[in-house]
Amino acid sequence: MTTIEEPAGRIRDLTDEQFQTAYHADRFTGSVIVNRLKYAVGHMSTAFLREAFSPIIRDWYDFACTISGPPAQDYGMAVVSNSLTPFLGTMPDATRNAVEEFGPENLSPGDVLICNDPYRGGRHVNDVLFTRPVFVAGEIVSFVTMCAHQLDMGGTVPGGFSATKTNVYENGLVLPPMLLWAKDQPVRSTFSLIFDNTRWGGLLLPDFQSMHQQLQLGERLVRENIERYGLDAFLGSLAYACDTSAEQMREAIARIPDGDYSGSALIDADGLDDTVDYRVRVTLRKRGHDIEADLSGTSAQARTCINCGVLDAKTALGVALTMLLDPAIPFTSGTWRNVDLVAPPGTLLSALPPEGAPMMFWEPSGALISAIFEALNPVLGERAVGGDYGSTNTHNASGVRDDGTPWTSATQCGGEHGPWGATKEGDGDSYTVLYNLNNLDPATETIEHDSPVVMLRKEHAIDTGGPGKHRGGAANLKDTLWLTAAAQHLSPFRTKEPSGVGADGGKPGPTGAMWIFPPGEGTSGPDGLLGVSSDVYARSTPVAGVLDPETKALDPEKGVYHYFASQKAWLTEAGSVLRCLTNGGGGWGSPFEREPAKVLADVRDEYVSVEGAARDYGVVVVGDPHFDPEGLRVDEKATTRLRSGRSDERGVS
Amino acid sequence: MSQEPNPPSLEREPVEGTCPRCGAAELSRYPVNSEGGWFDVVKCRSCLFSVSRDPGPRLGPVQLLSDLL
Repeated sequence: MTTIEEPAGRIRDLTDEQFQTAYHADRFTGSVIVNRLKYAVGHMSTAFLREAFSPIIRDWYDFACTISGPPAQDYGMAVVSNSLTPFLGTMPDATRNAVEEFGPENLSPGDVLICNDPYRGGRHVNDVLFTRPVFVAGEIVSFVTMCAHQLDMGGTVPGGFSATKTNVYENGLVLPPMLLWAKDQPVRSTFSLIFDNTRWGGLLLPDFQSMHQQLQLGERLVRENIERYGLDAFLGSLAYACDTSAEQMREAIARIPDGDYSGSALIDADGLDDTVDYRVRVTLRKRGHDIEADLSGTSAQARTCINCGVLDAKTALGVALTMLLDPAIPFTSGTWRNVDLVAPPGTLLSALPPEGAPMMFWEPSGALISAIFEALNPVLGERAVGGDYGSTNTHNASGVRDDGTPWTSATQCGGEHGPWGATKEGDGDSYTVLYNLNNLDPATETIEHDSPVVMLRKEHAIDTGGPGKHRGGAANLKDTLWLTAAAQHLSPFRTKEPSGVGADGGKPGPTGAMWIFPPGEGTSGPDGLLGVSSDVYARSTPVAGVLDPETKALDPEKGVYHYFASQKAWLTEAGSVLRCLTNGGGGWGSPFEREPAKVLADVRDEYVSVEGAARDYGVVVVGDPHFDPEGLRVDEKATTRLRSGRSDERGVS
Repeated sequence: MSQEPNPPSLEREPVEGTCPRCGAAELSRYPVNSEGGWFDVVKCRSCLFSVSRDPGPRLGPVQLLSDLL
């Protein structure tokens, strides 16, 4: 097999001869092969998305595809699909760890090796890694790999999304590296192991079969490249892809001033009780073109399953550095070549078995991204980025319909989607997923078809984008009406402190909350839409958030924290309404430098209230945005007076 | 609400010698995770130069009982 060594100089400075020597292909061919492999993972993804039965695959895009090098290239992950970063970031190590434990010498053409152990491969037990070796002349030359969320992998909570499980035995079925297909024949004992220990096998089975097909497709497309361009050029191109990422990250790191930069972020509580909150801490030591990220000081691992493994922390580190330093860097194994993660064992970000299992893994790893943003934003100046809504506030519910059939709804009706922060380029997006995710949003029609629920409201909440020259994305407000009794597992983790940190003088976005409104006495549901003013909450049952004890409305300054797992499952009557309000995204730049015309547009679109325009932006808007939006105007003289009288808001001393 | 007073911190083992890149006498040995997984490194605390990088245990601090088979 060809040995690939990293070239000494910058790749772009290599002569054609040097490039050929390094990568066994000319520059053009190397690029063509890498792009053809990107097509391969894209094609695998499209086919799986089209065929998948499971809603979390079909509607959420909760899977990823990669192509990695052989053992001789240390399994370098060279090409990834445009999908979930928690999957992509962990898949290089997951593939290596699974194959090395199983033994590459024990693999044959047509095998599909699976593994879902968070400690071996990251993420949580629902995310199963499926990897298939590609053989040429009896030797493994590559791996095509998929990782896909299975709707259920056993454990004490249907669907798994809960913060209350305390150890790996409650968490779900753990699969070590084992064959699911051997020489393209299904291994019945492995299928039985899974289906005998998980729920909804009827959905899992066709998805498994589809993944088998996509892995065969991926292998076929890899082989076509090898046949067309030769094995040496193929392997060289894999190395070229990884080296490109490494070089771009190395140069991006070098642009930061040397120094030690620290940040932190808070997780409200775990699923046991609210007596302990959890702080993620990171210190980034930057010297030259190297970064060492030290997680020392991060809280000890939680008592219930809100932890993540070290590979998820490493992924978050790669995601945050890519977003902040150069979003154009391809996400490959090379991303981490000049980045070392220092992780004391047994923290919230580096949990150890068997206690404190990883399940809600993206929550602490997302908090690490926030902490890295907080650490680096001050030194990045205008390249700083506002924080996101911080928690997917995951919802998971189950119940029984009137005809006796069971139903479940997972990750559809909480605050799973929300805003991003603003950047120097513009306002933050208002309805997407966390920085360390990359999913779709399920369609309302699908949600209402699959579960006995009516989506009453799904809208941007007013005055929730962090003020700034560029405004943070608006929080999302979602009301759902449940038509049968339900057991609801609700997991909002970051309501005590704003997660949407400000950037370059911008203000943070506010915190959110969750409430349940029981049906009125003698009724089967609400008479109409719940209002959005603060006086509607008095009759609610608060689930989470820092709220006024009397009115139960948001009061982040003087309010009382409400603990999301004070009931392990929130049991609701038919006709109850669940309201989820996410945190807001962080603003970028001084709010008083926002153009008044943009503030006027925000008022017209009800991102910002008339009062908020004056309070947060120093812009006086006259008129009625709701009943006469086209009649709104800016009072320029009053705005000038207001802004000049509050120059401190612009950071002017 | 409370957090534990002494959250976990990674101990670095001091190593005799000076950094061949910057000359600082601040070498120490500890595990890191990077491209390629876990490594036991000897690094300069001052400039982060890696004096040595040896592959570490595949799963770092996690030990599998089945590895004893």
